[in-house]
Amino acid sequence: MIIKLNNVNKTYPGAVPLHVLKDINLEIERGELVSIMGASGSGKSTLLNILGILDNYDTGDYYLDNVLIKNLSENRAAELRNHMIGFVFQSFNLISYKNAVENVALPLFYQGVSRRKRNALAMEQLERMGLADRAHHLPGELSGGQKQRVAIARSLITKPSIILADEPTGALDSNTSKDVIEVFRQLNADGMTIIIVTHDPSVGEKTNRIIRITDGRIL
Amino acid sequence: MKNPIFDLENWREIGATLSRNKTRTFLTAFGIFWGTAMLAMLWGGASGLEGIMKRNFNGFDTNMGGIFGGRTTMSYKGYNKGMRINLTYADIEGIRSKAPYIEASSVIDSYYGNIAYGTKTKSFNIMGVEHDFCKIQIPVMYSGRFINETDDYGTRKIAVLGKNVAYSLFGNDKALGKYVSINGVYFMVVGVAGQKSEASIGGKLDDSVIIPSSTFRRAFNQGNLVGFFIFTAQQGHDPGEIKPYIDRVMRSNHPIHPNDENALQMMNMAENFRMIDNLFLGISLLALFVGAGTLMAGIIGVGNIMWIIVKERTQEIGIRRAIGAKPRDIIVQILSEGMVLTAIAGTMGVCFATIVLGIVDYATFDPVLGSAHFELSLTHAIAIMVVFMILGTAAGLIPAIKAMKIKPIEAMRDK
Repeated sequence: MIIKLNNVNKTYPGAVPLHVLKDINLEIERGELVSIMGASGSGKSTLLNILGILDNYDTGDYYLDNVLIKNLSENRAAELRNHMIGFVFQSFNLISYKNAVENVALPLFYQGVSRRKRNALAMEQLERMGLADRAHHLPGELSGGQKQRVAIARSLITKPSIILADEPTGALDSNTSKDVIEVFRQLNADGMTIIIVTHDPSVGEKTNRIIRITDGRIL
Repeated sequence: MKNPIFDLENWREIGATLSRNKTRTFLTAFGIFWGTAMLAMLWGGASGLEGIMKRNFNGFDTNMGGIFGGRTTMSYKGYNKGMRINLTYADIEGIRSKAPYIEASSVIDSYYGNIAYGTKTKSFNIMGVEHDFCKIQIPVMYSGRFINETDDYGTRKIAVLGKNVAYSLFGNDKALGKYVSINGVYFMVVGVAGQKSEASIGGKLDDSVIIPSSTFRRAFNQGNLVGFFIFTAQQGHDPGEIKPYIDRVMRSNHPIHPNDENALQMMNMAENFRMIDNLFLGISLLALFVGAGTLMAGIIGVGNIMWIIVKERTQEIGIRRAIGAKPRDIIVQILSEGMVLTAIAGTMGVCFATIVLGIVDYATFDPVLGSAHFELSLTHAIAIMVVFMILGTAAGLIPAIKAMKIKPIEAMRDK
């Protein structure tokens, strides 16, 4: 079991507190390709943020690869994100003034890997994504699909336990979306656990399991 | 553990960040440059002004005092006020025997007389001094020697010519060993001297003929009268401490009313030097205050630019946090950008100030008086840089802490 959530609750404080996740129980096996689907405001992104240790939850327990993710310090959370999770975002979230290889290598910078070694590893990932010839291009010089593949390469470089993708095809046209999903399927075929948050049914049907969430509850 | 200082990419990133908005970086750097330059120039300038003032007293013992006669302002023992009180040699002997803490002392007599050599006759100041005069005002000896104890006690007819006197009589010829006539009395030239600074007592040495005091009184019928009496206090004592003893001797020798404070003119150079020191301490503090103000303006500029950079890069900071940057990594990144800017612009400011001070020092250099020391010591330069680096870092710290506190998920949503 790579992910296990027991009765996880999350409420956003405010004048009117918003209970966005209600008693979430979820188990995901290693090597699964899962999609989380739901309408806007259903809590799917909050769930992904908790899974990605980008946000805290209020009650319950969350185990990632048998590590209890609860009340972590900022440093520990950063360390776990760096080593165990690969992120792919809808808006790619590449650093605009770094070229593709530098963007891909960045997570290794925070592990203290030497520049030469991390750039070599980044090149390997770019070659895997078929982007070796675009390695020294800035994000502004790449197409949407190429940017997303650079982001996927970045998510893979630390050999994480899971990849969390938040609407990875949201900013792409249908053909490019298919390509990106195909990349995910290929990675999954190689054994990588992938969780995709999407509202696009065509993406969901390409995954092995769909988790539907409505009003903060898993159906 | 990695150290970003040794990571080339970190430096490239700093360069890229600073060069992305060149005008803003230039203006911020100029603020720092000008702040350090102003502080350094004001500090070095204050030191130079003090040097100019102090070199006017070059050669003088700063622990010096003196006395010369005045006029009574009160009637006493049948004498009307306004009576002239002249120093006499008996007064000097009394002072020397009764006043403690005197290190060196000399009488000074002077008047204008004619000095002749061959067919040339010139009018110059003639000074009669004792051998310890050269301990109180150290002369520059161009050739020969100054008056010594034997000259004084032996009432020898020897003369030390001021350098301008020697030149006007002998041109570039050697004056030593020659005989000159002073008001018809022949003296052998034993030295050519000058003074180290502009200040003088009893006449400028460059333009005077200096002879032993005993000879002066005898050769020119000065009797027992003395013009000035100057002395230096022993180390650890102030000339002011000697004043009451001098006062007592003078009042016992002359009809001066006990309450008449103006009959004797006393000077305390140590007091004057302390005033000058205090004045320049004030000028230095003012310079530091003004410089610190300029510096603060530069620092606020750094803080401001760092704040804007953090604001502009919120999303990027969020991305970095999401992929594993620890809060410390973000602080180091933001601070290192501010520190690099401060270090480069600050060093240029200090270098610029050093060049300007060097030019001013060159322009005010006097071949005799020497340099006024318009300069910035290495310690001061380092102190300015260290203060600027610390303050620059502190100014960048607030935005850096703000950046550190940004939650990655919120930062990535930032547009």
